[in-house]
Amino acid sequence: MEAGTLARPVPHHEAAAHVTKPRTGILKWLLTTDHKLIGVMYIWLSFFFFSVAGIFAMVMRAQLMAPGLHILHPEIYNQIMSLHGTFMVFFFTIPIMAGIANYVVPIQIGARDMAFPRVNAVSFWMLIPAGTFMLVSLFLKGGSAAAGWTSYPPLTDRQFSPGAGMDFWILGLHLAGASSILGGINFVVTILNLRAPGMRLFKMPMFCWNVLITQLIVVFATPVLAGALTMLLTDRMFGTGFFHPPAGGDPVLYQHLFWFYSHPAVYIMVLPGMGMVSQILPAFSGKHLFGYKGMVLATAGIGIIGYMVWGHHMFATGIDFRLRQFFSFASMVIAVPTGIKIWSWLATIWGGSLRFKTPMLFAVGFIALFIIGGITGVWLALVPFDVQVHDTYFVVAHLHYVLFGGSLMSIMAGIYYWFPKISGKLYNEFWGKVHFWLTFIGMNLTFMPMHMMGMLGMPRRIYTYRPEFAIWNHIASFGAAVLLVGMTIFVLNMLLHLWRGKPAPKDPWDHSDETRTLEWTVTSPPPPENFHTLPAIR
Amino acid sequence: MTLGNRWRLLTLGLVLAAAALWTAPAGAWLFDAVTPVAHEVRNLFWKAVGITAFFFILAEGILLVAVLKFRAKPGRAPAKWHENLRLELVWTAIPALAMVILSGPAFSTMKYMETIPKSDVQIEVVGHQWFWEYRYPKYGVVFANEPLVLPVGKTIAANVTSIDVIHSWFVPPFGIKMDANPGRINHVWFQVEKVGKYEGQCAELCGVLHGQMFITVNVVTSEEFDRWIEQKKKGV
Ligand SMILES: [Cu+2]
Ligand SMILES: [Cu+2]
Repeated sequence: MEAGTLARPVPHHEAAAHVTKPRTGILKWLLTTDHKLIGVMYIWLSFFFFSVAGIFAMVMRAQLMAPGLHILHPEIYNQIMSLHGTFMVFFFTIPIMAGIANYVVPIQIGARDMAFPRVNAVSFWMLIPAGTFMLVSLFLKGGSAAAGWTSYPPLTDRQFSPGAGMDFWILGLHLAGASSILGGINFVVTILNLRAPGMRLFKMPMFCWNVLITQLIVVFATPVLAGALTMLLTDRMFGTGFFHPPAGGDPVLYQHLFWFYSHPAVYIMVLPGMGMVSQILPAFSGKHLFGYKGMVLATAGIGIIGYMVWGHHMFATGIDFRLRQFFSFASMVIAVPTGIKIWSWLATIWGGSLRFKTPMLFAVGFIALFIIGGITGVWLALVPFDVQVHDTYFVVAHLHYVLFGGSLMSIMAGIYYWFPKISGKLYNEFWGKVHFWLTFIGMNLTFMPMHMMGMLGMPRRIYTYRPEFAIWNHIASFGAAVLLVGMTIFVLNMLLHLWRGKPAPKDPWDHSDETRTLEWTVTSPPPPENFHTLPAIR
Repeated sequence: MTLGNRWRLLTLGLVLAAAALWTAPAGAWLFDAVTPVAHEVRNLFWKAVGITAFFFILAEGILLVAVLKFRAKPGRAPAKWHENLRLELVWTAIPALAMVILSGPAFSTMKYMETIPKSDVQIEVVGHQWFWEYRYPKYGVVFANEPLVLPVGKTIAANVTSIDVIHSWFVPPFGIKMDANPGRINHVWFQVEKVGKYEGQCAELCGVLHGQMFITVNVVTSEEFDRWIEQKKKGV
């Protein structure tokens, strides 16, 4: 039996039976189980945390603008730095990907909603207390957690981090993790079971494949993070000694557990964006995605090998030689499927008829920047080089080329691409393009010099630095200011046109027949339950 | 100026700037290399740059050309092809081969760093919040919070550990970084080729003053070192 025929969406009259009067006002949002409304709330919440974390980044770049400044007390700097990472990873990148997927995936596979609509609402609402715990902790006595987004013990033991901020951080992250796991199960079940008749797995849009593989990673990796956090918490609260050497524990164990989740988390943050880019490039090239099956295999390959490389974050901890050799080679190998994706995107646009609307600009910018992050990733897989630049700004540069150049550029591409669909309004193309150029240039100005700082030996996570690193820091801080201007334009463009943009047609991008996915066949925004009649899938 | 021109200029400029920025300061760090290990790391780095530069230039180049060449024009339809198994096999196999080739020098350099030769001077490095303690067990010398002094040209073996949180002993020109973990002892070796004063600092977030946990190593001639250690033994 074909996978696509296993389960059919609920016939329309049945589904309509339990939808009584449509709610209005605030209750419409508070009580909703509609995947589209939940998706929109995810996106708003994520952008809220993006703004907070972005402001933290600006404050850090102000402090680091020149050596020896005292804009921030070192204690405050460490808190801001830790929350910048935590918010960007767990409260922006991961949830916004979930938010966009929440909105788009059910429509793309021809379903009326997610498989478990109430669980979906729970996943979203859990993020609010989670993020609130983190934010509130800034105002506690002793401040928030200040041990980086990685929170290595023993620095996070009660002895060295006595404040309650650390406990709030653990609790907040636990909730965010639980929200992720619930969401992950929901996505996997939805994609496997709710596809419209004829929507075979290998007919799914590439975005759905990437979300499926991402969410499988979420389901298998996140519980390990939860375990590590629980041990951290009991070490702090109940005197256990998992990571406490005098009690026979080992802090390095925490690093293994943390990175067993957090390396795959890099793919949780990047794969959905790669899926978006795999939709957008064909859409604006008028060409089919090149090598669809190869792309699916490469994504699955990244998902699997991604579990075998966590040790590359620990080359300087003194783990066994053979382990380092294994992790080093596996980390190099993962460049191969990543490369397949890049070559396939290039082949997709080659010979196409390219229209440079804002989403396309961001998608192309994504490729240009992600290549750089990929190349430095290969260098970092080489143990001797990694040891030289580990925990320096070189790694900060690398991870921002992956997470800013990769995740954020693709998120922006996706937001511009689906904005007319979600809001039913058109944004201003000119200001979208200005936003792109400021982001692309500002990004390189900010993060390219960080490669140099790291090469010269400037460690990361320091609140001030020796004068020999000054020139590169001046440039980086200037770049951050350019980014801020770009982001301001983005926010204004979006808010203004949400309020009074021109109405968007069904398909504002004029997709060709090969590249038009189902969401572009319904109105903008789509009607409740998405389809009046079941879509016919060719 | 048309959008096409802007693209052309900006992208070209950025690619060139990226290339220049990558190599220039890398040189600054690499020319500082003063130990055999640092020299090996430098060689490995250039091999990695050489091999990956090919893919970098190829990929960014194709992207640039595609963006310039395939801009939508009225009357030109997009191509229809979207599969080519042979091409896909090639772009899987060649990078895979490149990775295998690159792993050779990477592993041999690793082995070289790992194999600690017979040492002339043995020291112990202990991280504290927020200073370094140094011990010379053979001479019974212990001190903290002042520069480490070592003889030039001698093989130094260091045992690195911590008494509180994790720190990391990092002196860039030596090609060395080793985490100082409480409850574990890590081993590194180095042999400094030139007399001089070398600077580094803690590389693992260790609390409020992590940014102030500096390392200074004074590398002196053997005679000077002997004189210095005699004075230290007397507690001067
Ligand atoms: Cu990793
Ligand atoms: Cu430190």
